[in-house]
Amino acid sequence: MGRYVLKRLYKGLITFFITITLTFFILRLMPADPATLLMDPRMSEAHRQQMLQEFGLDKPLIVQYFSFLKNLLKGELGISFMQKRPVMDIIAEKLPWTLLLMITTQVTTMLIGIPLGIYSGYKRGTLFDQIVNAVAIFGISIFVPWLGFTLLYIFGYNLAILPVGGAYTPGIEGGLKYFLDVGKHLILPLITLMAIYLANYVLYTRGSVIDVMSEDYIRTARSKGMKERRVLWKHASKNAMVPTVTTAGLMIGRMVGGAVLTETVFAYPGVGRMIYQAVSQQDFPILQGAFIILALSVIIMNIVTDVLCAYLDPRIKLN
Amino acid sequence: MENITTFKQRWGKEIKAFLNHRLGVIGLAGVVILVLIAIFAPLIAEPVSGYGAYEDKLLPPSSEHLFGTDDMGLDLFSQVIWGTRSSIKVGIIAVLLALVIGVPVGLLAGYFGRIFDTIGMGITDIFLTIPMLPLIIVIAAIAESNSINTVAFIIGIFSWPDIARITRSSTMKVCGMQYIEAARSLGIKTSKIIFKHVLLNASTPVFTNLTIVMASSIVSESSISFLGLGDPLAHSWGKILHNAYQSGAFGTAWWYSLFPSLAIIFFVISFNFLSMGIRDALNPKVSRE
Repeated sequence: MGRYVLKRLYKGLITFFITITLTFFILRLMPADPATLLMDPRMSEAHRQQMLQEFGLDKPLIVQYFSFLKNLLKGELGISFMQKRPVMDIIAEKLPWTLLLMITTQVTTMLIGIPLGIYSGYKRGTLFDQIVNAVAIFGISIFVPWLGFTLLYIFGYNLAILPVGGAYTPGIEGGLKYFLDVGKHLILPLITLMAIYLANYVLYTRGSVIDVMSEDYIRTARSKGMKERRVLWKHASKNAMVPTVTTAGLMIGRMVGGAVLTETVFAYPGVGRMIYQAVSQQDFPILQGAFIILALSVIIMNIVTDVLCAYLDPRIKLN
Repeated sequence: MENITTFKQRWGKEIKAFLNHRLGVIGLAGVVILVLIAIFAPLIAEPVSGYGAYEDKLLPPSSEHLFGTDDMGLDLFSQVIWGTRSSIKVGIIAVLLALVIGVPVGLLAGYFGRIFDTIGMGITDIFLTIPMLPLIIVIAAIAESNSINTVAFIIGIFSWPDIARITRSSTMKVCGMQYIEAARSLGIKTSKIIFKHVLLNASTPVFTNLTIVMASSIVSESSISFLGLGDPLAHSWGKILHNAYQSGAFGTAWWYSLFPSLAIIFFVISFNFLSMGIRDALNPKVSRE
């Protein structure tokens, strides 16, 4: 197990390294460099040079790259153009909210989606299965902002039982009250993200249950006179879950995209909404930093998922 | 004539299975409708742009404005119709790029294995791991002019990893077949084996996936446009939603956001159903329900 974890960490590190290298060069090779975007066309050439120097943009690309890496190792992601504060500090304020949203989504979707997929695969062809399938496909196809707005409109404005945005009510601090308040703000963004990612788990698990049910060991279990319920929930589902859980890691990467939109709609103060604001303000260091941190979180969550999977199913380690 | 018989012999069973797949046929019909709307958009609705009349601001749906009007007083029906054209265009460019990058990567990795496989699939894995949408957003934010083609290009160059993986696995399957071994031992040139024998036989699962790339590229395009990074001149469903969000008319003018959203849902569902139909027709084990 220890060796597997080390191997996985090593792979994660390489992935992260290549990700940031790619990002760095893609962004630097874009036709419009950040300095030009930031600069006022009326600025004098001397001023322009001074500014390029300040941001280190006058040096050769490769030198810039190494100083970028060096800074990254020190945990520095540059200074925000708009807020004039270190990007790292700004992200550190926002990241916990994004992680809260994503981790709760991941856990609840798996807890609901996997059993639903197992049962609907088992009951394949029945009305229950068809309804689950149709709802799942519809869920995948919904556009996040629209679902978000609709939920906001119904539960926030019309019924007024849930907050219309943000992640907490200012003023409420500490203890159970704060905890409940944060939970209340989390409900709508959570439902929005769940509606979209639930389908992946349901359809995936359903497919593998269908495969598993025709295996010999299921027939054996049945012929031993084992109760159907036990066959399904003990023998079939355990094996059917493996391919689903192994894709959980990949799902996280896609979920981040949904989180950007969800946070924007619900004014949720996470990294996603920060990206939206940085886009309209052309705040380049924030954008780059946010992406790097999001990629890092996804890679870490991926490793955690993989290690958990390997713990649950030792066969994975061999691959 | 000979070609037609072989085609029928080769695909007859699959086509029949597809036609029996209810959702698949619904999806195909939806896709046909979308393509027709995109082609004949100029005949269906006048393109609108700029500012409309003040008294036309935020009118609810009526016989004159089927989908109502936006806060600029512009007809939403026309915008949604013309948005179909942009969406199909983005989808096609994204799919072509995904093919151009993904198929060679998968083919090389699957056919030659070893170092090709390690590097090719290593890069593919990385692209699958990193959060694509934020990266697309960051790049779109920096790109100088976001024409609809630029947006499509940016989406396309990040759409290939799935195609590469699928091409690789089906290439590997095909390479295990005896006729490839036979071709090799006959001394046929490697390039000819790859293009004539392997590619042709390995391409079926790839096509199943193209419809999914099509659907997801529209979600990406809509997301970028919704965030205000799309082509300011092109009509796009995401852009209508962006305007609806910016105008603050969301709560009062339900039609403003409903119709473009339904268009996105219709597009994505059609392509998803189509891909389900094709997949199940090619893989009878799952489809027999």
